[in-house]
Amino acid sequence: MQALLESVGVDHERLQFYNLSAAMGPRWAEICSEFTEKIIELGPSPIHRALQDQADLKSQKKQEA
Amino acid sequence: MIVGEQKPLEEIWEMIKNHRQLTVFGCNTCVAVCHQGGNKEAEILASLLRMKVTQENIELEIVDSGIERQCEHEFFDSKQDLLQKSEAVLSLACGIGVQFMAAKYPQTPIYPGLNTTFLGDVPAKGQYVEKCQACGDCVLGVTGGICPVSRCCKRLFNGPCGGSTDGKCEISKEIDCAWQLVVDRLEALGRLDDYEKVAPIKDWSKDRAGGPRSFKLEDF
Repeated sequence: MQALLESVGVDHERLQFYNLSAAMGPRWAEICSEFTEKIIELGPSPIHRALQDQADLKSQKKQEA
Repeated sequence: MIVGEQKPLEEIWEMIKNHRQLTVFGCNTCVAVCHQGGNKEAEILASLLRMKVTQENIELEIVDSGIERQCEHEFFDSKQDLLQKSEAVLSLACGIGVQFMAAKYPQTPIYPGLNTTFLGDVPAKGQYVEKCQACGDCVLGVTGGICPVSRCCKRLFNGPCGGSTDGKCEISKEIDCAWQLVVDRLEALGRLDDYEKVAPIKDWSKDRAGGPRSFKLEDF
């Protein structure tokens, strides 16, 4: 799955699988916090950037009109 | 079963990028077992292509769907509307399904999402190995259930070539010598005398040499 994401230009580090039981709440919370920090560090995804660029262009065209 | 492998995304992209609408269509039987062309894989591939569409900033609507088998008419009934409205289809079936769809929808471009690779089995989870070449004249009855057509790199019918070492083929140490397997199997069956029998010349007209093959049941 990570390789597939790489094939469309998305950093494989944006996806991680963990195997946890329902009784591992604290570890789950820990992973969520760690992963959130990692995603913030990686910054916006190329998909988000592309969508942002398209939205900016749209609003620019609207203003020009 | 039929085994296939998904084509590289770039190759798929080159085929589909000039369309405005595309249906990624899974075939949920053989190629679903090897996790390459089932309905789940159609969903995943459609998602990846949507990501690419967003990044390339082009207008291409991608939907995903699938059926149990793309090689028989009756399975298409529930998806007729979708397929008739599709501008193009990326079929994740084997080459048979792609051709069946192309004949069924003559006005619609049907692209192959997979490379159909071989007829094989699943000896372990995630492992697929070629076991049959559909030669049309099965000899498994005399070779102890080991196919010399698909498993011997030289397709020999009368014992090993002499290049094998420790039961492995000279082509690769990863490949078993088919004739070593035949001998081991015949020995286990108490039929080693069969190994001494000279196999007759194989009738290759029943293989591809006779052109595309078919047969028809009289009762239908």
